[in-house]
Amino acid sequence: MSSMIPTMRHVRGFDVARPLSIGMLVLMMLPLVFLPLASIFLFGTSQGLTSFMESLTAPEAVFALKLSMVTSFWATLFNVIFGLFAAYVLSRYNFWGRNALIVTISLPTAIPTAVAGFALLLLWGPYGTLGRFLAPHGIQTMFTAGAIILANIFVTFPLAFGVIKPVFDTMSRSLEEASATIGATRVQTFWHVTLPSLRGAIVSGALLTFARAVGEFGSTILVSGNLAGRTQTAPLYIFAKFNEGQIEAANAIAIVLALFSFLIFSVLFFARDWLDVD
Amino acid sequence: MAQVARSMEKLISADAKDIQPPAAASVVGVSKFFGKTSVLQNISFDVAEGEALVLLGASGSGKTTILRIIAGLEQPYTGKIMIHGKDVTELPARERGVGVIFQSYALFPKMTVEKNIGYGLRIRKRKRKEIKKTVEELLSLVQLEEHRKKYPSQLSGGQQQRVAIARTLAYDPEVLLFDEPFGALDAQTRTRLRREIRDLLKKVNVPAIFITHDQEEALELGDRIAVINVGNIEQIGTPAEVYNNPATEYVATFLGAANILEGVVRKDYVEFGGAKIAARIDSEKFTEGQPVKLIFRPEDVALSMTQELPSGHSCFAGAIVEETSFVGAYERLRLRLDPAGGNSCDTGDTPYYLTTETPESQTAKPIIATRPKPETMAVKLRRGDRVFIGLTSFTLLPKDLRPMAGTETSR
Repeated sequence: MSSMIPTMRHVRGFDVARPLSIGMLVLMMLPLVFLPLASIFLFGTSQGLTSFMESLTAPEAVFALKLSMVTSFWATLFNVIFGLFAAYVLSRYNFWGRNALIVTISLPTAIPTAVAGFALLLLWGPYGTLGRFLAPHGIQTMFTAGAIILANIFVTFPLAFGVIKPVFDTMSRSLEEASATIGATRVQTFWHVTLPSLRGAIVSGALLTFARAVGEFGSTILVSGNLAGRTQTAPLYIFAKFNEGQIEAANAIAIVLALFSFLIFSVLFFARDWLDVD
Repeated sequence: MAQVARSMEKLISADAKDIQPPAAASVVGVSKFFGKTSVLQNISFDVAEGEALVLLGASGSGKTTILRIIAGLEQPYTGKIMIHGKDVTELPARERGVGVIFQSYALFPKMTVEKNIGYGLRIRKRKRKEIKKTVEELLSLVQLEEHRKKYPSQLSGGQQQRVAIARTLAYDPEVLLFDEPFGALDAQTRTRLRREIRDLLKKVNVPAIFITHDQEEALELGDRIAVINVGNIEQIGTPAEVYNNPATEYVATFLGAANILEGVVRKDYVEFGGAKIAARIDSEKFTEGQPVKLIFRPEDVALSMTQELPSGHSCFAGAIVEETSFVGAYERLRLRLDPAGGNSCDTGDTPYYLTTETPESQTAKPIIATRPKPETMAVKLRRGDRVFIGLTSFTLLPKDLRPMAGTETSR
């Protein structure tokens, strides 16, 4: 039987466009994406693993990584909860100014991060619109970890919302209505019916927000003050060490951040099915 | 005071005896607007204990809105909803104890069949043992025991529907509301499920309100049918009542095929152009010379090649066969009333049965008819053949009058 198959197969001319176009795509990506990434790893490990580990475990480096994680965590927590709430309100209720609100929420992605940081300084800084009233009471928001969180919240504001809102929009209203007629309160309905359907969107929204927050530079450098060991996040550390000519120290952290984002995107990519269905 | 209360009680119980079975659910004078558009106008009806009521209407007739108002998902503009004698108009959906089977079933996608069915009990904080027992019983009632661990997306449409029903039965609903329950299914499954649901309802004895636009479904499912048209109930009654004695032209044409001819009331007959038909005229409803509509079902028409029709058939008119066509189980004929056909019909032999597909308002317009296979085989009719028509039963409605104004039926 198997010998029959080749004779039945349609034989067609060799399609040159196929390998050519694939090859071209890879070639184009090589200098743009692959090589820069590869060089981080090549460079970082060129002096041997011990010196790499030394750079990595330097107190300032560890602090910068920790600070990045902690501030990103709080910003993510806030933005996921806020995004959930905003998505609920904006997809469940129709009101005057609704579209304007949607646009406003999405705006921070379009604003250059340096501008975002600058705007925060103008508001909360010691001479800022609000900060000037707080400063006499000894309340200083800028140049602290809190400022970094504020900046992270601002620049990642629409990410979780943007992932959750479409799921809300397409979610059948009748699920919630069914839950209500069965006898559930709004809270019970949200907890048992709405939230499980949003699980995937919440997880991927959180990962996106976190990944973006960990890498944030432009706004952070303005609002944090970039104080080593106090308000210096991982990207700021890389920049600082690079400026001081300590390429290796910068490189070690760069590798960690690169691996970290690989990890998050692998989760987003390979766990898609799990995130969507059971 | 106590005495007064007791005598009041007596009064009430005496009243209750007069009113036959107390209504499980009542809709009283409900009207509803969407913006400035009136969608329901003063709707009232009752559903008795254990009864299945079908709200039949075209899309946009407001039937879904009625259902949503009963369920508490929509507020009425005026009127009230009573469930087992209790006014629930102000209660939110979750406190009404009503079971809704949504058109798409609205099963919770992240819960298994078991979890879906037990949901109503879980949110009522029942004991785990009790929940397990009830779920077990319901699973066997709807015959889904082996599917208990599956998710809704893994079930067929019919199975999903059974889960949806079981999910409402779990908390002993006061009344079940079905929103177009078979809309999403193919014709074969539909017929099967119709029977299943009817049997299931008999078993659990819960009053039910169905919503449908399918007249066949309404006739088969309903103990009673309410025909809704643009926010009004045109008629409410048993399937036989509504089918045989339609109160309005709309009911006649929406529920099955009907011939509609316009005529004028005379002393003891109705005149249609050159034809006349004997009728007992109710003088309270009709006056001589009043224009009326004569409505008759296809199967109430007898056909004969001679002027003789079986006794009990009011002689009607002569007609000419315009077209015959084979439609499977029966033959369809298009007839035109013959102005020169004469009116003198005696009793005679073989009757043939007619169906019209489209309402006709004038004698000059054709009547489309069908007759069953045996008759088709016995007497072949061809284009141009002359036949005589008799009617077993028909309904007279005053022309240009709104619904319910008056009907006259002769059997």
